[in-house]
Amino acid sequence: MIEVKNVVKTFDGFAALDGATLTVPTGSVYGLVGPNGAGKSTLIRHLTGIYRQDEGVITVDGQDIWENAALKARIAAIPDDWYYFNQANVPDMMRFYKGVYPSFSTERYEKLKNVFPIDEKRAIRRLSKGMQKQVAFWLALSCMPDYLILDEPVDGLDPVMRRQIWSLMMGDVAERGTTVLVSSHNLRELEDVCDHVGIMEHGKVLLERSLVQLQDNMVKLQVVFGEGMEEVPAELGALHTSRIGRVHTIILRAGAEEATARLAPYAPLLVDAIPLTLEEIFIYELGGVDYAVKEIVL
Amino acid sequence: MNWEVWTMLSKRSFFNATLFRKNLTRFWPLWAAPSFIGALFPLAALTQLLRYNDSWMKPLSATEIYYGIVAYGVPIVSLIYAILVAVAVWSYLFNPRGVGLMHTLPIRREGLFVTNFLSGMAMMLIPYVITGGLAILIFSCFGGFEPVGILVTILAVVGESLFYFASATAVAFVTGNLFAMPVLYFVFHFLAVALDALVCLFAQGFLFGVSGSYTGTAEFLSPTVYLMRHVSTHSEYTERFIEDSSHRLGGYWRSEISAVTLENGWLIAVYALAGLALLGAAWLLYSRRRSESAGDVVSVRWMKPVFRWGVTVCSAMLGGIALYEIFWRNFQYGKYYEAFPMAVCMLISGAIGYYTASMLLAKSLRVFRGSLKGLAATAVFAAAVCCVLHFDLLGVEERVPKIREVKSVTFYAAGNNYTFYPGEEDALLEQVRAAHLAIAQDADYAARAYDERGRNGSSVTTTTVRLTYNLRNGTTLSRRYSLVVTPERMETPGTYDFVLDRLVNSAEMKTKRLHGGGSGYVVESGNLYVEKKQEAFSLSDREARAIWEAVCLDAKAGTWGTYNWFDRSNAAEYAVSLSLEFVKKEYTEAGADFTLHDYLDINIRPGMTHTVDALLALGLVTPDQLVTYQQLYPEQYTDEELLKMEEIKLWEEKFGIAYEDVYDSASYVPRPIPSTEDVTPNPNSAPTVEDIIAGAVSESSVGIIGGADGPTAVYVTGG
Repeated sequence: MIEVKNVVKTFDGFAALDGATLTVPTGSVYGLVGPNGAGKSTLIRHLTGIYRQDEGVITVDGQDIWENAALKARIAAIPDDWYYFNQANVPDMMRFYKGVYPSFSTERYEKLKNVFPIDEKRAIRRLSKGMQKQVAFWLALSCMPDYLILDEPVDGLDPVMRRQIWSLMMGDVAERGTTVLVSSHNLRELEDVCDHVGIMEHGKVLLERSLVQLQDNMVKLQVVFGEGMEEVPAELGALHTSRIGRVHTIILRAGAEEATARLAPYAPLLVDAIPLTLEEIFIYELGGVDYAVKEIVL
Repeated sequence: MNWEVWTMLSKRSFFNATLFRKNLTRFWPLWAAPSFIGALFPLAALTQLLRYNDSWMKPLSATEIYYGIVAYGVPIVSLIYAILVAVAVWSYLFNPRGVGLMHTLPIRREGLFVTNFLSGMAMMLIPYVITGGLAILIFSCFGGFEPVGILVTILAVVGESLFYFASATAVAFVTGNLFAMPVLYFVFHFLAVALDALVCLFAQGFLFGVSGSYTGTAEFLSPTVYLMRHVSTHSEYTERFIEDSSHRLGGYWRSEISAVTLENGWLIAVYALAGLALLGAAWLLYSRRRSESAGDVVSVRWMKPVFRWGVTVCSAMLGGIALYEIFWRNFQYGKYYEAFPMAVCMLISGAIGYYTASMLLAKSLRVFRGSLKGLAATAVFAAAVCCVLHFDLLGVEERVPKIREVKSVTFYAAGNNYTFYPGEEDALLEQVRAAHLAIAQDADYAARAYDERGRNGSSVTTTTVRLTYNLRNGTTLSRRYSLVVTPERMETPGTYDFVLDRLVNSAEMKTKRLHGGGSGYVVESGNLYVEKKQEAFSLSDREARAIWEAVCLDAKAGTWGTYNWFDRSNAAEYAVSLSLEFVKKEYTEAGADFTLHDYLDINIRPGMTHTVDALLALGLVTPDQLVTYQQLYPEQYTDEELLKMEEIKLWEEKFGIAYEDVYDSASYVPRPIPSTEDVTPNPNSAPTVEDIIAGAVSESSVGIIGGADGPTAVYVTGG
């Protein structure tokens, strides 16, 4: 289990992390989402032992991650901008990883050759960005990690390769109980794979739930009111409302049953509860802290 | 699981073999290229040895070569090579992606530090091992095997490599920028000598007499300079007669090396220890280093103000001088800087330095907001420095070290250099101090008179006085004065003109000039050029000594050695150039001996009867060759030519060097110098000096003026 408690990190007076707290259960796939500059990459660099927090505690399986080589040997990380040695090709990097990670599996490395159609003899720096990303996954998965920490992992990969890689990771989660922490802006994709989600903003984790809890906590209603009732009553406390013809779309922070009950006094002609996508939850949750929807890049 | 992984899994691993191997394979050109180039030298030596296959190498000759390389080659090579290797192995620190990878790996920072350092050291040493191993092998095959020399050489090379690479490593942890690292590294290595020179240059512009030359006060902080100046090889040779029946004399003398030492080699050990200390500092910096500092010019927080203000101060001083010379020098009255314009120039250049440093630190051009305090501090600094120097608030101008403070004093006046040692000639040294004090206390007049010298008519002349005090605390105090002297002041007690004249023309100084009085110097040889004959002679030690004794007699008689401050024309001198070479054996603190040389030009004038007689007796000149320059070259001593000579004299005063030195270096035509046999006097044509002396002894009294190894008898002819 990864635990982050009240972590603060400042850069020249700017608090990139301002009391961030999150918990990643063992064996879960945890999606860390948030707008640009929320502090996701900074938090991941703390989790991989690159940065040291100014305040707070970061533990993995109850142990401090900082300068803990034995713990780091169980963690494979893929940052958003990967680094390879100059002139190194895939076998060069494989030998390096093999010498550094005790659990590195040559057998798995060989098996994954079939998954990643890469010219091994070419210098990695000469490969395309997408291919470099594939090499990163190839090496990381060959390390047989207990923890996979990924920052924007599938950016630059084609849809087929994305699916392939997610499939490999999900296989590891299912078979080996690998814990995955993944930061991404691709919420639709995260929705398919994550079972836990944390939303970051301004260096804090605003919300952290299982995906089911998250979806149960917010509902989208399509409502048609009777004659004479043109506006959505303010007492409902809607997070968002819109209207097309006579059909109102209302987002409420409540379960479907509770929301329907709240509408009952207004005698709506039609009420239809629709579950929100992760993307919508992200937007409306952050809308609550003045996050402008138009700024989100999806 | 391989052994490397087991090693890594131990609770604390200080070494990672994979990383070590990776560094060596990644950066192989760094050690392979120097190894190849280095190997060419012993191979070239091999071809030489094979070419002269009859030469069997002496073991000490090989040691002499090794020590020479250690003293004069390794510091420079290691200085440059260390930064190249350090840039390679620590490059990941300067790249956010690189630092991300390395710090994500399951290797603790001490493991990264030790492994990278050791791989860097390996890269440093591989070329030395290959080159040195090859050299030892080749020399040993030719008899040049000397284990002590090899061991000392290995220790010295390892020590120097350790120091230089450790210093480069320490610099790598101060900065986070790849381009800043070599700059800061060379600044680190040469800052002390550069600052010394800068401060001297600056002080020279403000303070009367202060020499602009580098003092070497903190030279030990610039290790390359210090090692190159203090570590040297010393070889001793013995002469052995080799019997050879084929030789016309039945053999010949051969000089053979008998001992080789690496002088001050212990300094390398001291610097190696300093390297270990730097390594410790580097580790402390690494353990506290923030990975996010990758890219920063200065990655250590508390060093940022040091960098900012260091750049500001250096920029203020160096830039201040540059701006002043460009924009204000033409408006300046007098020789010395004017305080206010200099303060303005310092402020401008200091501000440029301050903002440049701030921009580098902030990695942004937007550093002007809130910078007024920094600018005000720069202004205060500039004003304070100019005030302190302009008003000499530290009393630098009037500082004259006491005898008990000095180890030796070198005094240059009236064209001659004198060296004094406390305890040997304290009375004379006190007079030199008095002359210095007289000059220093007359600073205002001296500066003004020098500036106005062109308006005071022909009775005014200029002269240069230099004093160098080597102090017991290891520092040097140097002063250089360009002074105006006048006949009136020369007769006025208390003026520097008076004090200098009495000192330079005193009998004691004349004796000293001739290295009498137990200075330890012995006349060894000399040169004589007879203008009329246009012939040069190299004097044997016997001839040189006879002439020197004669000059001593002339000095005693008052016909030689009186310096005329106002007439330095050689018109009335005999057209004969005489130079004597003196030698003195000295010993280093380690007990090794070395030889000092001194040269004295003797101007021979009519009236120097003893010298003239000696030259005639030795058959070096004939009476008809003893004509004055004016008699020989009347056309050169017209009023016009004399005026030209006066201009040359002024030129020499201005630049502080002899016009002839420059003239000769530009158009020097070698004059034929006959062999020693050629200048041996013909026993039939002239009496030998022994004859003269023997004759003199029979009818003279004996005076003793001293010599190198005990008193030297000088025969003074009576009547």
